[in-house]
Amino acid sequence: MNVDTALKNSIKKNINDLMDSSADYVDVRYLLNDDSESIMLYNGNLESNDTTFESGLGVRVLYKGTWGFAATSNLNSIENCFQQAFHNAKTAASLVKVPLSMGKKEPHISNFKSPVKIDPFTVPLSEKLAFLNKIDEQLKEEWILQRIVRADFQKKISLFLNSEGTEVERELYNVFASINIMALDNEGQMQNRTHDLFTTGNGTRGWEMLIDPDLFSGNIERIKSELKELTKADSLEYGKRTVILLPTQAWLQVHETIGHPLELDRILGYELSYAGGSFVDLDSFGKLQYGSKKLNVSAYGSIENSPGSFGYDDEGSPERDYMLIKDGILVNALTSRAMINEANQKAGKQIFKESGGAARATAFYRAPIDRMTNVNILPGSDGTLEDIIAGTEDGIIVDYPNSWSIGSNREHFHFGCEIAWEVKKGKITRVLKNPTYQGHTIEFYNSLSAVGDRSTWQVGQVDNCGKGEPNQVMQLGHGVPVVKFDNVITGERK
Amino acid sequence: MINEKIKNIIIESRDIAAEKKLQASFLLHYENSHLMRIGNNSVSLSTSEELFRLDIVVTIGSKQGSHTQLGDISSIDQILRSLEIAEEKAKVANDKDYTPIEDIVDEEVKEESQYDSDFEKLSPSFKAQAYAEIFNQVGDKYNYSGSWSSGYTEQFIATTNNRNTAYHKGTDQLFSIVLKHPEKHWEITSSQTGWRKDDFSVESVIKQLKEYVEYYENLQPVKIEPNKYTVVLGPQAIAEVIEMAIYTGFWGRIYEEKQGWTSNNKFGDKILGENISICDDPANDNTFKFKFDLSGQSRIKRMLVENGIFKGLMYDPSTAAKFNKQKTGHNIRSSSISVKCGDGEECPLEAVKSLGDVLYIPALHYINLPNISKGIFTGSSRFNALYVKDGKVVGPIYSSRITDTFQNVFGDVAKISKADISVNLSNTYGRRAPVASSVPKYMVCRGVKITDSADSF
Ligand SMILES: [Zn+2]
Repeated sequence: MNVDTALKNSIKKNINDLMDSSADYVDVRYLLNDDSESIMLYNGNLESNDTTFESGLGVRVLYKGTWGFAATSNLNSIENCFQQAFHNAKTAASLVKVPLSMGKKEPHISNFKSPVKIDPFTVPLSEKLAFLNKIDEQLKEEWILQRIVRADFQKKISLFLNSEGTEVERELYNVFASINIMALDNEGQMQNRTHDLFTTGNGTRGWEMLIDPDLFSGNIERIKSELKELTKADSLEYGKRTVILLPTQAWLQVHETIGHPLELDRILGYELSYAGGSFVDLDSFGKLQYGSKKLNVSAYGSIENSPGSFGYDDEGSPERDYMLIKDGILVNALTSRAMINEANQKAGKQIFKESGGAARATAFYRAPIDRMTNVNILPGSDGTLEDIIAGTEDGIIVDYPNSWSIGSNREHFHFGCEIAWEVKKGKITRVLKNPTYQGHTIEFYNSLSAVGDRSTWQVGQVDNCGKGEPNQVMQLGHGVPVVKFDNVITGERK
Repeated sequence: MINEKIKNIIIESRDIAAEKKLQASFLLHYENSHLMRIGNNSVSLSTSEELFRLDIVVTIGSKQGSHTQLGDISSIDQILRSLEIAEEKAKVANDKDYTPIEDIVDEEVKEESQYDSDFEKLSPSFKAQAYAEIFNQVGDKYNYSGSWSSGYTEQFIATTNNRNTAYHKGTDQLFSIVLKHPEKHWEITSSQTGWRKDDFSVESVIKQLKEYVEYYENLQPVKIEPNKYTVVLGPQAIAEVIEMAIYTGFWGRIYEEKQGWTSNNKFGDKILGENISICDDPANDNTFKFKFDLSGQSRIKRMLVENGIFKGLMYDPSTAAKFNKQKTGHNIRSSSISVKCGDGEECPLEAVKSLGDVLYIPALHYINLPNISKGIFTGSSRFNALYVKDGKVVGPIYSSRITDTFQNVFGDVAKISKADISVNLSNTYGRRAPVASSVPKYMVCRGVKITDSADSF
């Protein structure tokens, strides 16, 4: 990484100056490059052919228990930015009932780079378009009314420095891509099938991931034939039945009803005015039977290849691999330094030993908040998808979210999916359209009756998780297997 | 801010592009934003940003490329570098199967009608003091959180197609507070919006919170069983459901591609109740007004639904070009959706005195669309939701889900308030882009489906 020495020294000097002016803690995120590229073919027309380049520096100052933050893209006057952040903290300090504290950490000098073979920003646009055009060609059919093929590339090169002396250099890469096709069904309703680029958890995450047919283009014929079936299918009827979630639906279920409710800032009430709260409270840890004994959920999970694997968070803490839910019992949360100190103090005991490395900021002009890393259901011992189907009396398999609506404390939910397959007496009998299901989080996870093995497990890449004020979009991952739930309300009442 | 020097740099870049016979448009966006966040009765974050973003779009025949650069505008070289990136992308791009409509600034315009020079006084300390006063007046035994976003934005547009420029300057704010009972876990909220500093009144926040604290402290919570109910939707719920209905029913692309709930209708068809009229009105002061869109087109009032009759659609330039329609000034981040009022009483409780059992649901949390073709939406109640009998509040209701269609909910509206209100629908993802709708303070909708409810708030 080529950080200008004078600039780095100037950042350090400004940090020291604020500490000398009695700041409690200071950190700086300097994004040398925050580049993104978006390409979208819409019915073959290149409707998005865009790059965005950002670069700048964000300063966060803790003073008398509250945060001040400021950001600038003008590197010639960074001192103003430090002063603005300090000023913000000082005025905020007039209203502090619960002071925040970062605690103390030993400094470290570290770096991290996403595993990448081919930096997507070195691949010529013509080559990218040739690849996507070929996919679009393969999607063309008279009866397919809309074809949307998109790819998004991200590269973030950053330097983190704090007043404890920690320095972290990072180089993060993401590739997101999807294929979406639409057709009218026999009642004149538009039906969709979508495939998103996913990972196996292993391997590298550059351009090479996108051109791996197993992960992306090899799914074209499958989604076409499924869409064809949807155009002739009956609608799912209302009723209670078993629901089997494929990983490409299960990741969002996990995201919305395990990931978000276990963000510690949300549990502590810091997100109430926007995203909402959590039905989980500090008493729940070590006690709450979140799900059946088959439910084992990890944070990070040491997944090599995922948007949620980033080495060190935006407070310089290493990303940690630990269990959130063990044999159905809630044991930990998604955490950052200040939030664990506050939670432990509030609870009067040490619930959280150290930061989970989950403080993340989406851009240089945003302050870090508690985010998901990878939130994963560990593979189970109930065999393959075929084994799980064979053990199902009356149910549906559902795939790919087209709608999700979650209660403000994540206590209940409603999902709509693109497709369902009816299962009767251990066999798939037909395709059903317009599937929806709803439930109450704790009751739902306690009805978890089968968890697929490693053969069913894959990592869903999430590029658009929204949270925080000012709002922040974050990239993360979910490693999930096939999962089966019993007695779920499906379809809509007449 | 976008000063004359910066404007001149953009104009000079445009002229250089024009000389090279390039077809290019330049959109410069500036924001100076501040946001204060409250958590656990404290300021948890006070943050400010001052950012320039320059978008350049280059069109070569039917090929297009675009580039956005975030950073200060201090030299013409930076801009020409961005122009070059966009041009390179356009050269390599696929040909489209239609000819894009070229961006052109219709008329020289300078719009500053929603700019308040007093806005600077909305300082972090002013905000902190207002929150402190609310905690003191309403009671600090409750847990408070909230946020207060305020900012100043400017936009400047120039294209190589003529010498006009379009400039917009405005201020906007969104205040919110959530009060939560630490043991009983109920939550109530109050919010305010506007473009003037004085659009915020601490007294009215305190009054509203106190009114709801009375209900929540003294009345037993009610669990609603799934069924059809008469539901009084409040302003936030109306604005957000209408926003969804518009996105899926009145955007040209969704309609032309037969994706939406209006796609099987034609203009003149009755699609909603006869007391429902909706338009996009960039002159409505309850909304954040924009006289021009991002392609430079002048924006005028456009009827979408009049007395329940399907009247119009909104076309952005690429949809208009693709489907051979007129573009309608809808290459926008900020629409001015306005829903017509009725003759209902000022107070919603008064309005439902003779209607027996009704649910008052002022806001819906996390609305989504399980079936766009059928117009189905779903979302759940949260703050300030009440069970009302003969105009009297019986108690607050637990989190309850509505899953229903736009056509049903706005198909049988018994009463609409005579007063309107501005609802701020802005988010702060990416660049600052204030959006507000003008809606009636309430709508009494008959036969609305409640499909689920929790045992908690
Ligand atoms: Zn999310």
